[in-house]
This record gives sequence, structure tokens and C-alpha cells, in this order.
Amino acid sequence: MNRRNFFSGAATAVAAASVSRVALAALPEPALQTSADTAPPLHPPTGRPYNPVVTLNGWTAPWRMNAGVKEFHLVAEPVVREVAPGFVVNMWGYNGQSPGPTIEVVEGDRVRIFVTNRLPEHTTIHWHGQRLPNGMDGVGGLNQPGIQPGKTFVYEFEARRPGTFMYHPHADEMVQMAMGMMGLWITHPNVGKGAAHPHIAKVQRDYAFLLNAFDVEPGSLTPKVNTMLDHNIWCFNSRVFPAISPLVARQGERVRIRVGNLTMTNHPIHLHGHEFEVTGTDGGPVPKSARWPEVTTDVAVGQMRQVDFIADEPGDWALHCHKSHHTMGAMGHSVPTMIGVDHRGLVGKIQKIVPDYMVMGERGMADMGAMEMPLPDNTFPMMTGTGPFGPLEMGGMFTTLKVRADQRAGDYRDPGDFKQPPGTQAYEWTGAPASTPRPARTDTPGTAPGAANARKPAASGHPH
Amino acid sequence: MSAIHRLSLLGAVAFLAGCASVSPDGLRGDVAALTAGRTGGVQAALPAADPAARAQAQQSIQGWLAQPLTQDAAVRIALLNNPGLHARLAALGVADAERVQAITLPNPHLALGRFTNSQEREIERTLSFSLLDLVTLPWRTARQAERMQVATLQTAQEVVTLASDTRRAWLRAVAAEQVAAAHERMAEAAETGAELARRMARVGNWSRLQLAREQAVLHETRAQLARARLAAATEREQLSRRLGVWGLQAQYRLADQLPALPATALPADGIEATALRERLDVQAARRQLDTQAIRQGWSRVGAVFGDIGLAYTRNTTTERATGERDVKRGWELDLPLPLFDWGGAARTRAQAEVEQSAAQLQDTAVRARSEVRSAWRTYRTALDLARQQQGEVVPLRQFISDETTLRYNGMLASVWELLAEARASTQAVANAIEAQRDFWLAETDLQLALTGTSPGALQGLTSGAAATTTPQGH
Repeated sequence: MNRRNFFSGAATAVAAASVSRVALAALPEPALQTSADTAPPLHPPTGRPYNPVVTLNGWTAPWRMNAGVKEFHLVAEPVVREVAPGFVVNMWGYNGQSPGPTIEVVEGDRVRIFVTNRLPEHTTIHWHGQRLPNGMDGVGGLNQPGIQPGKTFVYEFEARRPGTFMYHPHADEMVQMAMGMMGLWITHPNVGKGAAHPHIAKVQRDYAFLLNAFDVEPGSLTPKVNTMLDHNIWCFNSRVFPAISPLVARQGERVRIRVGNLTMTNHPIHLHGHEFEVTGTDGGPVPKSARWPEVTTDVAVGQMRQVDFIADEPGDWALHCHKSHHTMGAMGHSVPTMIGVDHRGLVGKIQKIVPDYMVMGERGMADMGAMEMPLPDNTFPMMTGTGPFGPLEMGGMFTTLKVRADQRAGDYRDPGDFKQPPGTQAYEWTGAPASTPRPARTDTPGTAPGAANARKPAASGHPH
Repeated sequence: MSAIHRLSLLGAVAFLAGCASVSPDGLRGDVAALTAGRTGGVQAALPAADPAARAQAQQSIQGWLAQPLTQDAAVRIALLNNPGLHARLAALGVADAERVQAITLPNPHLALGRFTNSQEREIERTLSFSLLDLVTLPWRTARQAERMQVATLQTAQEVVTLASDTRRAWLRAVAAEQVAAAHERMAEAAETGAELARRMARVGNWSRLQLAREQAVLHETRAQLARARLAAATEREQLSRRLGVWGLQAQYRLADQLPALPATALPADGIEATALRERLDVQAARRQLDTQAIRQGWSRVGAVFGDIGLAYTRNTTTERATGERDVKRGWELDLPLPLFDWGGAARTRAQAEVEQSAAQLQDTAVRARSEVRSAWRTYRTALDLARQQQGEVVPLRQFISDETTLRYNGMLASVWELLAEARASTQAVANAIEAQRDFWLAETDLQLALTGTSPGALQGLTSGAAATTTPQGH
């Protein structure tokens, strides 16, 4: 994690011109994050104790204690985010990255957030889900004027409710969220006095991420902000598989995953190998009587879900959005299905016209995962990633939960591939074939079952 | 007058008519001299008059036709072999013979008479000839020479025009053949797309509507191919006509590409002066004016003394009885009296003809200036367009094709989009060939307008923007 001198660089000249030096000197220095890796949890150096979260491929903002007030400094600015190695996107974010740093405070903390705007247009921050004075809610025009470029605004309120929250602009918000402006806010319960919170269990691992989506034309770098639903880059925290960090846990640990959705569609988040309960939302903790076991929870647009479970099954377990298009990289939604289409005799002809042509899709699309064909510049492949048993053929909202008996508490390092105990993996049957084989298929693609001589499709119409 | 004297008189007359001999090669040499350097930088021979040289020429033609036919070889063949040009050159020979006839002194008349009466026998010998012809001989000789020069200049213009026409026909034929080859490739891409579409529909992956769209593309490209092939055949026929070949000789193979674009363009300064100095039609108009001016000089004499006759008479009278001979010699001059026609009309006519010629020279010069300016502008624009098409558009289309291939690799684009882009880049190549052809056509016009003669209606530039086929929408 790097720190940046707020007074350096031409970008500060605007701020310096509009804010007095005395006032600027009073500001906490904004921390800058240059890496898209997952930062280790930030244990609180000051203030009330809490159990910190791990933000997937993100970080927690440091704060400055000022007369009992936790002061943060967020800088809204254009950033270049590495969404995956070799694939970067021009985004708008906070303090060098998208999403911005996670803000972690404790129930009852007095929080003061300085927001400096280095975007080309005004912005605000809405503190999604918080109880706060109306004038701190951040809806431009409704609760406050916009923060003009070069200006710094101050938000100040008490973190009254423990739980899972997010922050995002509420000024030109369609554009600014499509460009990646968002961040997590965790208010930890105040359990310093020793009494556990009735609805918020103590967990050994606490993971948090936002769901966000971008539409980046293959070969370009900037999201198309006007796309409503047909996005092609589906992210956890502006990051795609296989570049999303795995969630690791020691076998038997209680694990919490907090998910917020700032895309334009819902995401059924599905965990393999375990059942969980939704223990809270951005509305607060769910009473125990209202919980039920699930392996998938749908996170609707603008919602947050906090799930808890015991990681008691060792292995590498998939955690992903169950919409299969959301576990893909950039894809052509209008490309026709080529399955079962005989290409014999045509390949050479096409190669004569297009020398680099290769048949794809005749048997399905798995070839894509295996073949590493050259793609346009800065284009994330539709399916990629390799595991111990071959291509994963994924590329979006997908990562793994790695449960190990020997993972040390507090160790977040990737333990590598899971070694499956002998006799616990699906295997190929090499014995005798089934005694009563199913009769071979009699119909062929393009004909209805049982049709004797189905008419071949032709361009000519029916003779009438 | 002794015979010696008489001979010397006749000799003097013959001397005056000194250039009254027919050109041995029917003025072909003069035409060749005038067309040298005006046939686009190629040393092209004209058909010779003697049979041995003609056989030699036929051998050369066979040799040129055996190789892929270059533009220069086409010009050489056309100038040697084009029947229309043969006819023109023969006509020039005829005109030359007529000239010689026109300035040969009319043969003197010898009138012999034998008259008898009872007393005497009279032998009359009168040698007479028209004096006017003699008096005006220098003028007429000069005038006929001028007229011949004008005719020679006109024939030379026919030669350079034929050379230019042959160049244009060659350019069109070669370009049309290349464009047809591009259409073959486009049709092949469409055939492949349609076949794959049929297979898609057969297994149920595509509706008949989607299949029909690809088949429509196929038929469109097939029709374009048929037109391109016809155009290639038609242009080739035009060239063969200029070359004057038929049958087996017309089976020649064309060069497979047009000459490359020049690195630098011809500058525009001085082109008008060059045209006025070099152009054969301007020279012909100037000669015409000179001729009329000379003619004006003797028109007066001719008109007033329409027919001056000079006769020498020697009459011998023999007394039948005595046998005594009496010789009567004498000159007789016969001239019309200008009582009624003082030659005013003829003078006026000659004056008017001078004015007419002067005006025609002016007209020719003004047109030459304008034509050369216009031809240069067309040439310059054609060069820019051809460079743009070749240097920018074709590479861009290739880049688009390559990028579409990358998108196909990522399953972001379909094979039909790939084929459509391949067709579009082939179309861009065809457009580039046509732009290159248009440049060379414009260059041919410019050279003709600069040093030859009027190119007639200047070729505009054809628009090479063919509609690019769009991939099937989904």
C-alpha cells in the first residue's frame, strides 16, 4: 500500500486554488492503492477493537483519529483498473482503484469522511443503508449540491447500525456506477464490552465483495456507460476469474461472505459443498427465527446479502453467480450456434479467403477454453482458467472457497490445488459395457423424431 | 527561237516546278517524325511501304503477342497493324500524288494545222501554254506544300490518337480482368457462406429466413461476377479492335497488372505553353493560316488575269506553184481585260479565308489551353484518389478483416461476418484497381492534350464506391 503526498502533482493545483492551505493541512492524507491484489485484513490500530474483513481484490482505508472522530479521505478520480492480468479498463474509482477502499468502523463511531473530487464532473457519495442525518445522505440536488471538480466536501455522522453497507455516487449515478464508482462499508458490532451481539455471530473469516458489471467493447478500454443489461464483463470487485482471489478457510471455521449488488441485474450467488444461512442484509441482521438453509442466495439490484456457514468440507469449492453467462468473459451474444454443422470440405475454402480461420463451435464451445487463439487487444477471453484437471472454461463471477484442514488461522495465502484423497474422485468406467444398451438414436438433427422423410429446409417456399 | 532556247525555257519552268515529285514513302516518314515522342514514350514504327519490311513487322507482332501483352507492345502493334491507320496513311499517299499533279506545269498545247488552197499549202504550228500557271507557280508550289503539311499533321494526329486509344483500351482490359478476378474471390466467399448456411439449416441451427439471407448474398455476388466477366471480355474486344487482330492472334495473354502509381506527380507549371508549342492540332491550324496568307498574295493576280495565255506560232506557207516557202513566226499573248471583274470578290474571299483561319487558330489554342488545364486537374485528382484507395483504404480493410478474425477467435463474431469482411476487403482491392486504372487513363489524356491533340471528351473519373455487403444481421 502506497501513500501519496496530497500536495504533489498538478491535479492538486485545482484543489489548492479552491481550498485554503490551512483547511487542506487539516485534511488526512488520502491513501493510494496501486495494486489490484487482495490486501491483508487491517487490524484497527486505533479506536474500538473489531474483527476486520478481507475485501476480495481490495483493501480497507486507513483512518486518522482526530479528537475521537475517525477521519477518512476519499478521492474520486479516474483510474486504470487491472480487471485481470493483461486486461485493464479505464474506470472511475476512489484512491487509485475501483472499487474504492472498504470503510470499516464500529457501531457508535463518529465518522468524518473528506471527499475530494478529481473527476471531470460533479459527484456526491450516498452511504447506502446508513441511518444518518438527511443532509448527509448524498443525493445530489435533494440533500446537497454536487461536489464540483476540485472541491472537497465533508460528510460526518455516527455509525448507528452494525451491518453490511456500500457507498456510491448519487450524482450522474448511472454513468458513475457504470464507470466503477462504489465501495464497501462495514460497521462492526460494538462487542468490546464482551457481550456478543445477539444476531451477529463472531466469525473467523469475514469476506466482502461487491458485484459489478461493465460493457467493454472487445479491443477497447472504456466501459460503454449506456449499456443497460447486455454487459460482457461480470465482476466481483471489478475483477474477473481467474484473477479473483480465492476465499480460504481452515476446516471448521465459521466463515462470513458479504455481497452487495451494484449491477443492473440480480445475481444468484451459489456456494458448492456447504449450506449457508443469510444472516443479514443491508437492512440489518436477520433474526435467527427468520433464517433458513440455502446453497444459493439471490442478490437483487441494490441489495446486500451476508451469509454465514461452517467451512467443514475440505476441498476447492466453486463460489459463483449461477447465471451461466455471468461466469463468462466477453462473448458475442449474436454468434449463431454451430453445433452439429458439418464443416467438411469448407475449411480449406474459408482458409483460402481468411488464412487464419479455424473451425470453432462445431462440437460446442469448449474448444474456446482449450485453444489459445489470438484475440483483439485488451480483450478478456470468453472462457479461460486452468485447474489441476484441465480448462475451467469460466471467466466472470467465479472464484473458489478453499477449505483445508491444515490452513493456519489468520493465514489468507492460497494453499494451491486440493489433493483429493484416493477413492474420492469421479473416474472413468473401464469395466464391461452395460448389458442392455440403449438403442442408438434414430432421428437426426433437423428432423422430427419419427418423421420418415422430413423435408429438408430449402429457400423455396411451399408449392401451393 | 532555237531549240536550245526553247529547251532552256522549258527547263526553267521545270526547275520552278522542282518539288513536283511524289514522296517515295507516301509521307510516312514525315508522319513518323511528327509522332515521335508523342506516343507516350514508346518508339513505335509505322507500317512501311515495302513488302519486305511489312513481313518483318508481322514477325515482330507475332513475337509481342506471344508474351503477356504490355501497354507499350500494344501501342506498337496498333500502329503497325491497325487497318484504319493503314487506310489513313494510304490516303495521305494519294493526297501527295494529287499535290504533285497540281503543281506540275500544264503540258503546252501544240496545234498543228495543214491548210491548202489552190495556190498554197499552209502548215500551222502553234505551241501555246497558259502563262498564269507559270507566273503563279512559286505561290502554288508553296501552297501545295503547306496543304500537304496540314494533311500530314492531321494524319499524325490520327496516329497519336490511335496510340492513346490503344493505351486506354489496354488499361481498361487489364483492369477489367483484375476486377473480374477479385469478383471470383468474392463469389467464392459467398459460395462458402451459403453452403455453410445450408448445412446450418439442415441440422436445424438456422431458420429458412437466415438461410435465405445468405443465399441472397450469394446470388448478388454471382450476378456481380457475371457482369465483371462480361466487362472483361468486352474491354478485351475493344483492345483487339485497336490492335487489328482476330482469330488466333486475338488469343494473346494480357499483362496481369497495371503499372504502379508514380512516386511524383507531373507539375502543373508550363503545361499551357507546352501544349501550344507541341500540339499537332495547334500546328495544323497555324499552317492553315500561313497557307491562306500566301494564297491571298496571288489571289489578286489570278482573279484579274484569270487566264493569261502565251502562244508561239510558226506558220509555214508554201506556194504550190513555185514551191516558195514563207515562214511566219510570232508570239501571241492572250489576256482577259478586267472590265467587269477586277478581282474584288476573290480578294474579299481570300481575306475572309485568312480571317477564318486566324479565328480557327485562336479557337484551337484556347481549347488546347483549357483541355490541358482540365486534363491536369483530372490527372492530379485521380492520382490522389488512387493513392488514397491503395495506401489507406485497402490497408484499413485488411486491418478490419484481421481484427474480425480475432473477434471470430474469441467467439465474438460469426464466420459469416468473417466472410463478409473478406468480401469487403476484396471489393476494396477491386476499387483500388479501378482507381489505378482511372489514374492511368487520366495520365493518357494529359499526355495527349499536352503534346498530341485534343483528347475529345475528357474522361471523368468513375466512382469506385461499390456498396459493401453487410454481414447478416442477427
